[in-house]
Parts: sequence; structure tokens; C-alpha cells
Amino acid sequence: MTKIGLEIHCQLTKLESKLFCSCRADYREFQPNTNICPVCMGIPGSLPLLNKSAVEKATLIAMALDCNTPSKIAFFRKNYFYPDLPKNFQITQLNAYGNTSIGWEGKISVGDAKIRIRRIQLEEDPGRIIYEGATEKTKLTLVDYNRAGTPLVEIVTEPDFENPHQVREFLIILSDLLENLNVSDPGLEGAMRADANVSIEGGSKVEIKNIGSFHDLEKAVHFEITRQESLAEREIEIVQETRHWDDGRKITVSARTKEEEAEYRYHLEADIPWIRINDDTKNQLQVHMPESISSKKERYVSKYGITPQVAGILSSDRYFSELFENAKNETNAKDVANMITTDIMGLLDTREKRDSSKLNAEHLSALIESIKSSKITRTSAKLALDEIIKNGKPLQQIIDSLDLGHVSDEGELTNVITQILKEEAKAVEDAKQNPEIVNFLVGKVMQKTQGKADPELTLTLLKKSLAIG
Amino acid sequence: MVSEEEISNVAKLMKIDLEDHSSHIKRVQKMLEYFDILDRANVESEEITVQETDLDKLRDDKYVPYDKDLLKFLKSYQEKYVKAPKLN
Amino acid sequence: MDLGISALNYVSGIKNNEFTVEEFISKSLERINEVDKNLHAFLQINDVAIKNAKEIDAKIKSNQDVGKCYGMPISVKDNICISGSKTTCASKVLENFIAPHTSTVVSKLSSEDAIMIGKTNLDEFAMGLSTEFSAYGPSKNPWNTDCVPGGSSGGSGVSVAANECIASLGSDTGGSIRNPASFCSIVGLKPTYGLVSRYGLVSYANSIEQIGPMTKTVKDSAFLLNIISGIDPNDNTTLDNKDQDYLSNIDEGVSGKKIGVVTEMTNPDGLSTDVLNATNDAIKTFEKLGANCEHVSLQMVPYTVAAYYTITSTEAGSNLARYDNVRYGYEMDSSGFEFNSYISQARSKFGPEVIRRMILGGFVPSAGHAGKYFLKALKVKSKLITEIKHVFEKFDFLISPTVPIQPFKFGEKINDPVSFMMVDMNTVTANLTGIPAISVPYKITNGLPIGIQIMANHLEENSLLQAAYALEKTVDLPEVSI
Repeated sequence: MTKIGLEIHCQLTKLESKLFCSCRADYREFQPNTNICPVCMGIPGSLPLLNKSAVEKATLIAMALDCNTPSKIAFFRKNYFYPDLPKNFQITQLNAYGNTSIGWEGKISVGDAKIRIRRIQLEEDPGRIIYEGATEKTKLTLVDYNRAGTPLVEIVTEPDFENPHQVREFLIILSDLLENLNVSDPGLEGAMRADANVSIEGGSKVEIKNIGSFHDLEKAVHFEITRQESLAEREIEIVQETRHWDDGRKITVSARTKEEEAEYRYHLEADIPWIRINDDTKNQLQVHMPESISSKKERYVSKYGITPQVAGILSSDRYFSELFENAKNETNAKDVANMITTDIMGLLDTREKRDSSKLNAEHLSALIESIKSSKITRTSAKLALDEIIKNGKPLQQIIDSLDLGHVSDEGELTNVITQILKEEAKAVEDAKQNPEIVNFLVGKVMQKTQGKADPELTLTLLKKSLAIG
Repeated sequence: MVSEEEISNVAKLMKIDLEDHSSHIKRVQKMLEYFDILDRANVESEEITVQETDLDKLRDDKYVPYDKDLLKFLKSYQEKYVKAPKLN
Repeated sequence: MDLGISALNYVSGIKNNEFTVEEFISKSLERINEVDKNLHAFLQINDVAIKNAKEIDAKIKSNQDVGKCYGMPISVKDNICISGSKTTCASKVLENFIAPHTSTVVSKLSSEDAIMIGKTNLDEFAMGLSTEFSAYGPSKNPWNTDCVPGGSSGGSGVSVAANECIASLGSDTGGSIRNPASFCSIVGLKPTYGLVSRYGLVSYANSIEQIGPMTKTVKDSAFLLNIISGIDPNDNTTLDNKDQDYLSNIDEGVSGKKIGVVTEMTNPDGLSTDVLNATNDAIKTFEKLGANCEHVSLQMVPYTVAAYYTITSTEAGSNLARYDNVRYGYEMDSSGFEFNSYISQARSKFGPEVIRRMILGGFVPSAGHAGKYFLKALKVKSKLITEIKHVFEKFDFLISPTVPIQPFKFGEKINDPVSFMMVDMNTVTANLTGIPAISVPYKITNGLPIGIQIMANHLEENSLLQAAYALEKTVDLPEVSI
């Protein structure tokens, strides 16, 4: 049987500062080596200062993944020499003297399967190596330390996955969960990375490292299983080893790590005392824990009568479910949900668009209200949405400035209809034979009024004019 | 006695070049031999004790940009990148 | 003008207009110029000290608020960072390292208008007890320049003993303040772990080391501790001492106190006769002062030196890993080198003792050997902590000679690693358990000093300084003649 286990590294991008210093946790906007300080650069005489919120957010993850959480957490040093590690050790966690990592022995459901979580630990991200030229011919290594010290949560699963498909399902569920907890933005480049270990029936375990994205993870696992199966078919032994994912060639290649590199000389990081996390703190965290995606979905269906499909889409996306929660009330929930899933999601389909959008919950509830009270049509509402997203002005102002107001004045509408009936003489004739043609005429009225005409009133007036119905 | 070979391997692991330093090996061996005294301390059942503190004593999550151009304190860099030797 | 005055007398001298800060600082600089060629206490001199002095004099003249130190010259061990100046740790590896930050202790002293007169010599990265492992040559004991001044804060000890400055800051990982204090006949205090911020101290074995004062008198140590102690947002391991004043009731005495004489630290086999005699004499002195002395056994003590070297080597192996000459260090062309060969080449600039500790530090915590060495060492430490806890339920203080022997000649011990390690026997207990300990000058025998060590329970610096002051008052030692 194929066994796959994962080690997922997730940056806590929702934090302001790094794990042990006050530099920015999200390093992405910075020029190289400008988001650094003596602490994250390991300058002699500097000391790590643990970020309280990092501990809290990591603990939230552990709780959400059904892990045991410790009464005290401890940090350890993992020692190895590498240019991206300013101190040549990484501050991480280890369950060496009792269980002192952020969490252990959790589980998560993926379809019908249960994936067990072995351990969750809080640690610092290394810097980034920027090679000059091709790897083979590199004469030197260039390093950007802006990322060094970014808070990272490592989630280690048991080898409970049986196929790449499950791996993908899990990753989708996990990223939604992390986003919903408001601890991370999995969409940011490099915010979530993973290593995998793969073994097939009768073979040794092979680790795959260096997988840049979740998309590639599934590919890498798939490739590795195929590689191992083809070895097995030819009765070639599958050796225990570490392989790197070659992003360019989309294959795994042997990393040929030396034995000595496995010696990490773990020992306690004395600069950070053990941190007591008492039950009060845990209860507080539990109380303030965002509602889980599944219970949110259930609530949307049972309380608001939203279809399971729409509820599913809405609940798994933190941004839109928040918009929904803030815009909905007892009477408009279904309409709000539908407008988000049918209109807004399409308009705000990228992170950039969301970031620059000026739309808020008040806009949305006002919009629904206006449609319900026939102040504007759905067509006008779409135009209004476009404007709101661009400039964020109050709905009424947008209705006024774009003249989107519903034409429900009988006199005004009658004038338009009279005009249309003149222009569309042929259709008028036909309509007398075929009542369906009336809809065509309604459309014409809408066109002329730029979608502002009250559709029901238009229909009534048209029928009256044509003396049908 | 811990072998010379073992000590040489550790030196390599610690990125210490032991060429012309055979005297170090002898001395490290002697020190390690002295450490055997730990076997007689009879402490197997002891728990390891450590300093503790409370979560609320920790730093609040606040971004405070570092006020110096640290890159200038660093030794060698190319444009804005720190220069390190090639990896393989 | 007497450069040999205490910090407290310096302050009253300034207040009484007996001398100006500038006068005292320039005299001190002259003194350094005169004696330090021979003693080599300093690695660097502050070249703006006179300017600083003038500024403080101006403040005094114009009746502005002046800090408690009134411009007194204080030397700082060269493993404590001062922004914009070199911090070499007496290593070639950090020959050109300029610190971008200032240690909390120096910030606190500076804000009380102390003048950092210079950076003092030490064993490379504070690993040693004689300054013989300084990459820039050893410091000499002012009592006998053929002898070591102790270490690793040897330069600090010499600078105070030879009246090159009023006081000094040292660091103590296994006795590095108390040992040179004892060898140079000055007072040296290692505070409770966490009482003084380590921010800006270059780490050697960060789980047990502390910065502390090295002074001419016990009161001076209390005076400096008042300034440098307390919780620091830049060091997660610091403790809140509620702004305790260690000076106010220092003359409380030891009458009625129970003092334990640690059997394993006064073992005649390990002690020189003169040190043993001095210790017995000190016991009698304490009894005359009204204290009750009795022998007490700490069974873990015989294992502490091995535990200490195991733990410190492990931590040093990690703390010194960053010296790979990539981000800072000395000029060395990396072209043609592969990363591992480059850093191995660069790290061969470490001196012999550091190299040995790196190897030990790679060995004792490694997967195959941690059980035999590192874990056992941690357990010895734990058991010692338990023992100490019990002992302090019964006793107020523990005493021993600070060092089992008197200052030795250069080269005398360096070739025998085991007997070298044994010199630390009496001092490492305070580091492994985190308790405060002080060395008080007690005797000069054969022209060389002997210090007595007093230890107290966690955060009991107040009573520790009272006991030290009581002992100090009973002795009248000669001045060093240099």
C-alpha cells in the first residue's frame, strides 16, 4: 500500500512582526536585506524575543487540528551550517523533554479518511538564497535575509495519505482552515510549502524536499509514486533517501545528502524560558476561535436556508464569509449569499482586486435592500457594484450620480413605452399574435432606460398598451 | 577512549580544520576521559529543570523597523545581497 | 589625587569639589598609559573619554541633573557590546567587528553618567581562567606580573586592581568574574541568573552566564548592582527585582546567620595549604561576627566541573557557529571556495581553546553521545539545584575559597587540561544553579591574593552583600604596588 506523509510549513503571515524580533513578518514588499535587525541577523550580543501572538496563533492552529496542547512550550536549537541561517542554527521545537511543542496527536478529516497529525511546532524561517547564474557553475551564493525569522508553523502528518488526490484535498482543506483562523494568507507566494515522504508497498521511505508550491506537491508525489512503482516492476531496490523536486524538469532528483548532515545537536534554547500556557489562556483562545468552516456551512444552510452548494463556497472563503456575516440580516441572508457567489466573487477574483476593493458590508446590505424595495433593478445593481468596488461611495450617491434610480414613475415609463411601440411597429403587430414577443419589448424598454425600469410595471403597462393579457 | 578518527569527524562537522592540530585531539581525548566521571553521578532518574515564564510576559506583536542600515555593518555584499561562497 | 579610591569615595570627591571629572579621567588615562604596556588589561581605550568628562563637568557646574556615577571611569570586558565600537571577544575572528547595538548594562551606566574608559582583555570568547587564551596576549597580575590575573575577565580584574579605573563589568559563566577578582584582590559579584540583562553580551554559554560588577569594595558592587539590575524588555530571561536598593542596609551584619562551609569545596586534597588556612581563618572570622558555621555536603559538586564543561561546550558549539565569516568577520576572499571548505578555513582563526570547545561541543550533544555526556550533565545540574534548594532551607549562606589555589605562573597549568579544569571547581556551582555568589579579598600570602566566596539563595543579593561587607570590614589588606 502506498503511504504518504507530509510536513507542511506555513508562515503566520497575519502577524505584524517576526518570531523573535520586531522586523516585519511579511517580508515580500522589501528591498533585499532591508527587513533585518541584529536579532534576525544573529549579530553577536543580540537575543531572541518571542512574539506572544505567534504562540497564540500557533496554538489556535493546534486546537483547530484537534491536537493536544502543552502546559509549557519549549524551544530548541537545531544546529547546522547553511548560508541562509544567520546563526547557523534554527530555533525550533522538539518533544525531547516531554511534550513541549505547540501541539501533538491531532487529526483532520479528508473525505472519508482521517489524517492524523503527529506534531505541530513553531519555528523561524531561514533567509532566502538567490543564486547567481546556473547552480552548476555558480561561483558564489547571494543571500537575502529579509525572510529570516518569519514565524513558521510546521505541521507534520502521519503517513496516512494513500494517493496524491487525498494530498490535494487535504491541502485545500488545510489552507481554507488556516485562512479561516486568520493566521495566514495561504495565497501569498511561499507562505505555504511542504515536504513529502512517499513509500510504496515493500519499499523504503523517500523524502521529497524543495517543493515550491502546493500545486507542485501533488505533481511531485505523483511523480515519485510512478518512479517507485516502475523501479519495483523492474525489481530494482528503492533506497531510503532524500530527493529534491526539480521545478524546471518536474521530476525528483536524488539529493545525495551526506550522513553527517543529519547531526543537529539539538539542545534547549536558553534565551527563551519555557512558556507556561495555562488553562485560562487556552479557554480564552478557544472562546475567540473563529467558527470552523464546516459548522459555518451547516449554519448557513439550516439558519438561512442557503443551498448547501452556495453555503459551501461561502463558508470556505474567509473574505467572502466575513462580508456575508456583516451584510446579512434575518431577511436578506439568502440574497446576500447569492449576490456574493454570483456577482461579487467574479468581480473580486484575485487578491489584488480584493485588496483594492472599496466594497463593504453596508454597501452590500443597502444594495440588496434597494433591489427588494424595487429602488433599483438587478441590472442596475451590477453597475452600482462596479462603481462601489472602484470608489466606495455610499450606494445612494452612486445611484444618483449614475442615474440608476428605478423608473417606477408611470408617466415617465408610459412615455418611453409609447416611443418603443412606435419604433418597434413590427414587433407590436407580432405581439398581438404571439404574447411571448412582449418580453422582447420589455427588453427594449430596459435598454432604453439603461436597465432602470421597474420590470413588473413595464410589463403591466405594455400589456395595457397592447391591450393583451 | 574516544578514537582520534571520531574526534576528527566531529571537527569536520563543526567546520573546524584540524590540519596541523593533532595536539588538540589528544587534549580533547583527555577532557572527554575526565567527563566519564559523569557516569558515577547516579542521576538517571533526574528530571531536567528549566527557567519558566508566563505567556503574558512576552513581547506584543508589533512591527518596529530597525533604525540602522544593518547591511553597512555586514562584511561583503553584492548590490543588496550578502555574498557567501558557492554551495557546491 | 588618589586613583585607588572606591566608587562611593569618587562620588563624594566630585560632590565636594576635590577634583573634576576631567582631572580624574585624564589621570586615569595617564595611569593606563603608564602601567598597561606591562599589565595589558585593556584591548581598547575610549578616545572620547576626555570629551565625555568635560560634558559631565559642564553639567555639574551648571547645576544640571547629573547621573549617580558622576563620570567615574568604568572598564568593560570586551565581550560586552558598545554601539559603534569594536567588540573583539579577544578573538581574531571578531578583530574588525563593530557592534551596531549597545548592551543594556552599558546603556544603564551611561545614563547614570559613567564613562566607559575602555574595553578589557579576556580569554577568547571568555573560555578560560587566566587570559592566556586571549588572541591578543595575556594580561598580567599586578601583584606579581609573572602570574596570571585569573579569567576570563582578567583584564577587568587587573584594570580595577591596578587603579586604571574605578570599577569594571565582567561576565561570569563558570567563575569568570570571581576567579580574577580573587586573583587580583578585588570584589567580584556574579548575580542571580536573570537579575542582570545579558542583552549585548556576546553569548558563550547563555543558560548560565551573567554580567556582574568587579569593584574595589563590596559597597561599590552594591552601588553598581543597583544600576545594572532589573527586568529588561530586550532579554526574556531577566527577572523583576522591584528596584531593590542593595546599598541601603548593607551593614546589617551576619549575627545569628547560619553559614554552611561546603565540604566538597574545602577538601584538603584539592586546596593549597595557604588557601585552606585562609578559609579556616575566614570561618573563624564569621563566627566572631556572630554567625554560626558548620560543614555541609553538596554531593553533586565533584561532578560539576564535568557537567559544566559539557554544557558550556554544547552551548558554545551552537553560539559560536555564527562565526563563519560570511556576514561579518575578517577579509578573506571566498572565490574558488565551496561554502563548507571556506567556513572551515575561516574558523581556523579560532584560538586553541575555542577549537577544542567546538570539538567537544560537537561531540557531547551528538545523537550517539548525548546520553552519556550532555543529558547526564543536565541531570547533574538538576540534582545540584535540588540539593542547593534543600541546603538553603537550613542555611543563609554557603562559603568556600573562591579558587582552590593562588594565582599561578604563566604556562604552569595550560598544558594539563584536567588540572586546568579543576581550578573552576568552587565557582561553577553558582552558575549551574543560578544562585548569586561573590568573591571577597581576604588575604595576601606570599605576595599573592586569596579570595573567599560567599553564595546565597536565588535573588538574595541583598543579604549576600551584607555578609560580604561584614567579612570585608574585618580585613585590612595592603595596596598593590605597581
